[in-house]
Amino acid sequence: MPAWSEEATVVARNLKKSYGDFEAVKGVDFEVYRGECFGFLGPNGAGKTTTMKMIYGVAIPTGGELKVVGLDITERERDVKRRIGVVPQENNLDDDLEVRENLLVYGRYFDLPKKVILQRVEELLDFVQLTDKAESEVEHLSGGMKRRLLIARALVNDPDLIILDEPTTGLDPQARHLVWDRLRELAAQGKTLILTTHYMEEAARLCNRLVIMEGGRIISEGSPQELIERHVSPQVLEFRAPTETLERLSPLVQDEADAVEQTDGALLAYTADADTLLEKVRSAGVAVENTAYRQTDLEDVFLRLTGRSLND
Amino acid sequence: MKTYVRFPNARGSFRVWQREFTIFGKYWKTLTFPNFIEPLLYLAAMGLGLGAFIQRGGINGQSYIQYIAPGLLAANAMFAASFESTFNTFVKLKIDQIFDAIVTTPVNAEDVVAGEYLWAGTRAAVYGTGFLAVLTIIGFIFLPNQLLISSWWALLIPLFLFLVGVMFSVMGTLFTSLIRRIDLYAYYFTLVVTPMFLFSGIFFPVTRFPAPVPQIAWITPLYHAVNVCRDLANGPTLGTLADLAWVVIFTAILALIPIQIMRRRLIS
Ligand SMILES: Nc1ncnc2c1ncn2[C@@H]1O[C@H](COP(=O)(O)OP(=O)(O)OP(=O)(O)O)[C@@H](O)[C@H]1O
Ligand SMILES: [Mg+2]
Repeated sequence: MPAWSEEATVVARNLKKSYGDFEAVKGVDFEVYRGECFGFLGPNGAGKTTTMKMIYGVAIPTGGELKVVGLDITERERDVKRRIGVVPQENNLDDDLEVRENLLVYGRYFDLPKKVILQRVEELLDFVQLTDKAESEVEHLSGGMKRRLLIARALVNDPDLIILDEPTTGLDPQARHLVWDRLRELAAQGKTLILTTHYMEEAARLCNRLVIMEGGRIISEGSPQELIERHVSPQVLEFRAPTETLERLSPLVQDEADAVEQTDGALLAYTADADTLLEKVRSAGVAVENTAYRQTDLEDVFLRLTGRSLND
Repeated sequence: MKTYVRFPNARGSFRVWQREFTIFGKYWKTLTFPNFIEPLLYLAAMGLGLGAFIQRGGINGQSYIQYIAPGLLAANAMFAASFESTFNTFVKLKIDQIFDAIVTTPVNAEDVVAGEYLWAGTRAAVYGTGFLAVLTIIGFIFLPNQLLISSWWALLIPLFLFLVGVMFSVMGTLFTSLIRRIDLYAYYFTLVVTPMFLFSGIFFPVTRFPAPVPQIAWITPLYHAVNVCRDLANGPTLGTLADLAWVVIFTAILALIPIQIMRRRLIS
């Protein structure tokens, strides 16, 4: 493997970040290739935002190496920032300015010619469907509209790399689908996307590859499909019943399934052959009120790897 | 990690200044009014009210109102720049997170601070110009024998007030860069701004007091700003240059410090 891949837009090697005594990112390695959508999953406090901040230059790594768009961010700060777009986790729109003005003023920070800015701003308002709100005060936008405006703002400089920290958190399903469509369009245009999300469906739909972080480390990496194949069986049966029933069911299922997880009021059995398992349970005569069958997904992987209890 | 002194970039600073200018363009009518009225209140209360009792003799051959008017110009610039660099900057830094958004663009944290200095200077100069015009007109209409502004050198006052604004912005930003809570500004205004306002030779000549009063006055920035304004209003001397130099050197020495501290607050 070459030290720096030609195609890599972001390369991190043993990247670390400490705040005082606390190490938020404990040495992560990853490469993001041009034109792909790369995801970061992980429970609250895993270090996703910290990693994003290092990529867009507002957190300075305390160890390791980081190249963004082929450049060392600490040395070529302005050059890197000129070529990236950032949607931060927290809204930081300019409340003193109207919607359109937010984009115009932001465009000026990139020293773009006025004509270019004016034209791009109208395109972007249309792109995120905020043209009707162009003259509104930012304060008066709904949460979802603010998020869309942030996305538009991140595109003002026509960036090669777009970093989106939880772009769809707090959005209703319609707005979320709109954002997904837009992100796919951007990917189709050849932009590189890095996104963090707590929505497994979002990661599964958008990301070519992703990593799962926990406690400042990357604990798994791959395409959504690879991760599912690697960490969980293809099918899962969920049995819902009173605890005593589940207790009786448990040993039986344990013998048959690849993996079993017990939560409050439910038993999850991961298996490659759900039909056979279900047959076994039925013939044993245990009365289960409610049985659900489904394909495993990224959420199962996530919970398997990071546990079911709260992390922070 | 390398740590070295950071310098702002002119273009980035201009962009930050330009943001403020855009917002000022939208709201200037409401923003300007209080800054305009306040010095007039001082002028009326102190100059006319108190001045009536000091009429005989005056100070340095001037009537009391003539004496205090140019100093109020300097004080007005101090207040404008101090509010800008304390409360307003704090809101942009911590509450609205305006600066967090800017530093993800090619405009760096150091440009943000320098741009805010320049803006505070601009605001001080704009208000100062208005107030200067009012003082000049009041003089012509009501006090033709003792004009409040009597020298053509006064045309340089707005330019100088820009510098005064930058100087007090540097001081205010330094305080802002060090605090975490907005209530702490009470300390800054009570212990720094107000004492300067009262004891920097606006209302009485501090040089006539015994030591250490003149010495203490000499180390306060407003004292020199008042001297320059008064000299420009009445015709400068060589001593004016010394006061001007004090302001320039003090500002230059201090200006880089808040830039470094603010950078560390924005880029962790
Ligand atoms: N400026 C800071 N000072 C001290 N600790 C910090 C700072 N920023 C983040 N941390 C800590 O670093 C850890 C990682 O935080 P980070 O924001 O990167 O998590 P995250 O994965 O983005 O979580 P979430 O999903 O909740 O957004 C947390 O324990 C957090 O408390
Ligand atoms: Mg986060």
